[in-house]
Amino acid sequence: MIQKIERESAPSRGAFSLSKTFSILPYLPFIIIFSYFFLFPISRLVYVSFLSNDNTFTLSNFETAFKKPYNTGFINSIKIGIYSAGLTVFPGAVIAYFVETRGSSKLRRSLAAMNGVLANTGGVPLAFMFTAALGIQGFLTKALKSAGLDIYAHQFSLATLTGLLVVYLYFQLPLMIIIFSPAISALRREWVEAATNLGANQYQYWIRIGIPLLFPSFIASFLLLFASGFSAYATANALTVGNLPLTPLQIGGLLDGNVSAAQLHLGKALGVVMILISAIAVVPYLWIQRRTSRWSQK
Amino acid sequence: MIRKKIDIPLIIVLTLLGLFILVPMGSAFEYSIRNGLEGGYSFKNYIWAFNQDDFGHYLLRSAWLASLTVLITLLILVPTMTLLHLSNSKFRPLIDGLSLLPLVIPVVAFAVGAQIALPEFVQSTVFELPFLYFILALPYAYRSLDIGLNAIPLKTLTEAARSSGANWRNTVVHVITPAVRSSVMGTVALTFALSLGEYTITVLLHWDTFPTWVTYVAQENLLGAIAISMIALIVPFAVLTSISLFAPDRSMKESK
Repeated sequence: MIQKIERESAPSRGAFSLSKTFSILPYLPFIIIFSYFFLFPISRLVYVSFLSNDNTFTLSNFETAFKKPYNTGFINSIKIGIYSAGLTVFPGAVIAYFVETRGSSKLRRSLAAMNGVLANTGGVPLAFMFTAALGIQGFLTKALKSAGLDIYAHQFSLATLTGLLVVYLYFQLPLMIIIFSPAISALRREWVEAATNLGANQYQYWIRIGIPLLFPSFIASFLLLFASGFSAYATANALTVGNLPLTPLQIGGLLDGNVSAAQLHLGKALGVVMILISAIAVVPYLWIQRRTSRWSQK
Repeated sequence: MIRKKIDIPLIIVLTLLGLFILVPMGSAFEYSIRNGLEGGYSFKNYIWAFNQDDFGHYLLRSAWLASLTVLITLLILVPTMTLLHLSNSKFRPLIDGLSLLPLVIPVVAFAVGAQIALPEFVQSTVFELPFLYFILALPYAYRSLDIGLNAIPLKTLTEAARSSGANWRNTVVHVITPAVRSSVMGTVALTFALSLGEYTITVLLHWDTFPTWVTYVAQENLLGAIAISMIALIVPFAVLTSISLFAPDRSMKESK
């Protein structure tokens, strides 16, 4: 009896494992393209960052990466990442809350379209837009001056950390609204009603339910905004002429050969450090995102 | 239909957001139509921009590069994801993780990696760009497609078609394709927009497209570059907003 069952199930088990091997086939085109155009370049980058000019193993690229002027670049990039995220994360969350909970669906969709344009296609056009608006003859400059804020009294320039920060805010705020809106729309009406039925007032609802539920997404959004500001290249490259130490610009300069360095592979080491810093922010973001999307799925 | 009361806090929030977005944009636009020393306003910077041969040349180039990126997305990502949603494959966590990975890597670092890793014959042709754009857009395209596909009962539809006697070809053509079409359209628009505006990897790998051409123009005619930037911001802005305003209101239908 037992033997019979084994004999019957054996071939089917074989067939099953065969189909298991083949079940990866439909996914191969994706995996091949992804590996060749992404995994391969990134692994090569990491490998080369440990090579000296004679192609022997060395840590000296990383040693240089943490010395002047490259350490200043990291500090400035981290600063602009934190400032641009810190200044937009709260207003963005409030706007997302009002638009998602009180706006009509037309308003929500046209705002989403507008935010998409600003957050994703921005970069270079935004840089020139602010060159015009905040130039010495710009309308915004004059408006600010008549409001008592003379930005050129202290030698303002868009090609400084403060100047770049102004432009970064302009794409970080829309980005915040985009990434935080799903968290808001996942707050269900029933929860407000349930809390009210149990005798909670507005304040108690927010302290006990609303804020604890939104807090993880809020932190996650901050982390993604940080990564976005930290690694932004287009705006900074369009506005500066190699005079502002920011890591993405330094890597670009080394890649173009505009800046000469004794170590051929210094730029790769800077790239690897950038990936590590970015990962510190984005990996927790993705983790929180996954956790919160589990309960928000309706 | 019940008329809603005017929502004061919402109006305040929207006004502040509107000022934040429109004041710099408006003042840049005002600057771009100034008539220089003679005073007054004219569109001469815009006319100058449109008269550049490179304007059409690079816009066209960016457009077909973006179209190729969309094509790769349609041929590679859409079938892969549709199959993942149909089959409960054990590869789903793998593909899921891979697709989000480009979000972790700063584009500048990716550009350096691409430059040192990809062989000469790949780097000597502009056709490398659509593949790299595909990677850059992947986390966003993946997520938008995933949300779209989650919203349709793809499995039920397919099983219904199969048990009613449709063969696989008919199921794909007449059931799956129409069902996923609207979520695919969103993904296509997103991928196209991202590719059209991509600057970092393009300029670091020394290719010229519309966004990199703008920075080149700025060196000889800053006002011209400002005019082009205003076009690049306002046109997609206007097109997308009007699409979303005039498109049928889906949530109204759902609530009926």
